Amino acid sequence: MSPWRILGTALVAACMPLPAVSGVLPLSADPLIPAPPSVYRDASLSGGPGKDGIPSIDNPIFTSASAADGQLNPGDRVIGIYRNGEARAYPQAVLVWHEIVNDTVGGDNVAVTYCPLTGTALGFLRGDTELGVSGRLVNSNLIMYDRESDSLWPQVLGAAIDGPLEGRGLAEIRVVWTTWENWRQRYPETRVLSEDTGFLRNYERDPYGSYTPAGGYYAEDASPVFPVLNESDRYPPKREIFGFRTSAGAVAVDREHLADEEMLLHEHGGERFLIVHDPGLDTAWVFRAGDKEPPEYAEITFGAEGPEHPALAALEPVNGFEAMWFAWIAFYPESAVIDGLDQ
Amino acid sequence: MALTSDALPRRMALLAGITYTCFYLFAIGDVDLVASSQWRAQLGQFDFGHLLRARSPFLFEAVALLQAGNVLMLVSPMNLLITAILAGLLGANVHGALALHQNAACRTGNGRVFGGALPALLAGSACCAPGIVLLLGIPGLAAFSGFFAYLIPLSATILGLNRWWQRRQGAPALIRFR
Repeated sequence: MSPWRILGTALVAACMPLPAVSGVLPLSADPLIPAPPSVYRDASLSGGPGKDGIPSIDNPIFTSASAADGQLNPGDRVIGIYRNGEARAYPQAVLVWHEIVNDTVGGDNVAVTYCPLTGTALGFLRGDTELGVSGRLVNSNLIMYDRESDSLWPQVLGAAIDGPLEGRGLAEIRVVWTTWENWRQRYPETRVLSEDTGFLRNYERDPYGSYTPAGGYYAEDASPVFPVLNESDRYPPKREIFGFRTSAGAVAVDREHLADEEMLLHEHGGERFLIVHDPGLDTAWVFRAGDKEPPEYAEITFGAEGPEHPALAALEPVNGFEAMWFAWIAFYPESAVIDGLDQ
Repeated sequence: MALTSDALPRRMALLAGITYTCFYLFAIGDVDLVASSQWRAQLGQFDFGHLLRARSPFLFEAVALLQAGNVLMLVSPMNLLITAILAGLLGANVHGALALHQNAACRTGNGRVFGGALPALLAGSACCAPGIVLLLGIPGLAAFSGFFAYLIPLSATILGLNRWWQRRQGAPALIRFR
């Protein structure tokens, strides 16, 4: 894009009044949108079901961890959230049929979202509105809509590609993609989303395959089925990477590499990032490190809030999430990759 | 044109209809074999709006869940209605095709008398297009999944037209009112 066009766009944006709905739906300041929204809009297509054909759960009911033990196997995947002292787990087996839970956790209205086709779980603040499933996909990824402005939000981008809030980003909150065994051990008092969702589904059947072991659509070598904007054969398409992005760029971390290294310092977009492996949840936590010296990994403990150390307390956390490789690179073709090998 | 007894075509039509019903309900996920074995019945929302709420084109919400041992069934009146229409049309087509086939004088083209069977089978699989696409794993094919569901009305139309053509060729009525 030419500098004049950027300047023109900025002037127009500055002169335009903010949509009234921006007060309802918490927004982020500067989402990373690698291509103009129209590119995603033009590449979006119907996934089969129509709008709300995959119904979000808007009145979630929870059970205790001990009650959930009867339903969940230790290796079953869950999406966990911990906020203001409250821990909740959302079984993948339930979310695969609903994709979005509009919930209130720790006093905050949140939307916990999961896209089975890209293996991505993200949390968003939703203010007084709700998010729903639009029925459309881009890069195989769930496109959500908000019930206030009807803007369209691809989940991985977390930014609107159509509607009154086009170009704006949702405020993200951290959710964790892990196993029931790991989550229960870290958060013994967790509540668990029940199968009493208000809809009748066969929650014993994952229509896409299985994670224990990975099979069907989830198998590492299985091809994505919907067209994507960008491709890379650096990894098998369904390999799970950990990704994070700032307004300056996106970074993919090889999870095995991180587990081996335990902690990584990475410079990207003029910033230093500290990436910490969490062995208990088998995930990663990212911080803006600034010019501060990172702590010794052996001195870091892991609690409800994630990694704990006096040196980490002053660092700003950056949201990240696991994703299938094909989906990450489809959205972020210029993504840096940290795996100990050349780019 | 009078035809010989159509007892066998009737039995075959019934068998085809029942088989197709099972296949269709399994294909759309309303009947399934599950790992847990239990007996239960669960009622869902039963208002009119929910009854007509589409999950995708020609696939509707269930109002009850029944489980008998390892067999689980989601009861959706609209899905059952669609299944009955398609299975009935398929049964009528099988009946007509076999009845015409039995009559040597009418053996004028098996391709046409059986013409309705293929789209009917397509209809059964169309409702689970995403599953078929995942199974086949053909990149790009899923881009057309939104169109797959429209094979259902297409199939019903072709089956209906084929049945009309069979009747014009002299196939007996499937249901007789005495």
